[in-house]
Amino acid sequence: MTEDLIDHLLGLPPDHPVVALRHRRPEARRHAEGAFRELLLPADPGGLSHAERAALALLVAEREGDADLAAQYRAMGPAAADTPRMAALLDYAAKVALAPETTVQADIDALAALGLTPRDIVAATQLIAFVPYQVRMLAGLRALAREKAA
Amino acid sequence: MSARFTLKPVGWRPRLPPVKAESATPEQLAALDACPPAVRRSTYFLTLAHDPGSLGERGALFNIVMYAEGGLDRADRELATAVVSMVNGCVYCTAVHAKRFVELSGDEPAMQRMLEEGWAAEPDPRRKAIADFTEALTRSPGAVTPAHLAPLRAAGLDDLEMLDLLHGIAMFANANRLMLTLGDPLLPRVM
Repeated sequence: MTEDLIDHLLGLPPDHPVVALRHRRPEARRHAEGAFRELLLPADPGGLSHAERAALALLVAEREGDADLAAQYRAMGPAAADTPRMAALLDYAAKVALAPETTVQADIDALAALGLTPRDIVAATQLIAFVPYQVRMLAGLRALAREKAA
Repeated sequence: MSARFTLKPVGWRPRLPPVKAESATPEQLAALDACPPAVRRSTYFLTLAHDPGSLGERGALFNIVMYAEGGLDRADRELATAVVSMVNGCVYCTAVHAKRFVELSGDEPAMQRMLEEGWAAEPDPRRKAIADFTEALTRSPGAVTPAHLAPLRAAGLDDLEMLDLLHGIAMFANANRLMLTLGDPLLPRVM
């Protein structure tokens, strides 16, 4: 089977036991990759451009402290535009990623006031919430790989 | 952990009007059909249906993470997801998955104790290892090392069980953020 994003970022040889282990849950592997593609590179991005999506993912990967994942997202888009809209989206991303318990109705309303549709708001939130999934999978799999090497 | 966590049913009120099942597009209905049958007409999934592309893939991922056959015992998966939810402060997710743990394990006193006091004094070594590792990977993923895996190995977890545990923990880093951001919990006393 071909390399997916997680394999690519782990950088392990194809015959490594952790790479093989991931294939024992092939549907999890496939749908995590599918979610990544739907969130970062959807065929119809609606009101949230590919560049905006890459900028949001980059911010979350940086704030979560995963340098390899951040480099991936940095390479997927230009630097975040210096606009009030992008600033509001990045503020939202930081809050959802790092302190989701502190979000309130007004955070959602502020995005709607910027012209984001319900679909755009859900897509942005799904994207921002998916990067923490990737961060924890990568961290856990790296620990497993280091355990195998010990 | 905190007095606010409960095994009682907690409601959830979206911060966006959910998609109506009767007026959903074929694409939205197909995405909902990829989600766990018991919840695919819930308010939460109908809210996520605004973006069917992400819902379909993410719903299918959630389904396999929680229900795949073999590997980590389902009660252990529910334990891990309840612990993530407590660490992240998601009262709704905690109530749902703590309840499922109780249904699968039959051990309500153990979960009630964790809801009230956390797991520092958890007497069952396997549950203690799962809860401690779950908290570590949730709070500080970058700091997790093979030393964090050792108690899980000592408790008997094999590689596939480890992978399933990682999937459950990671899935709720995602699920809690969606639930906490796109809606508000409705606690039993105000329902």
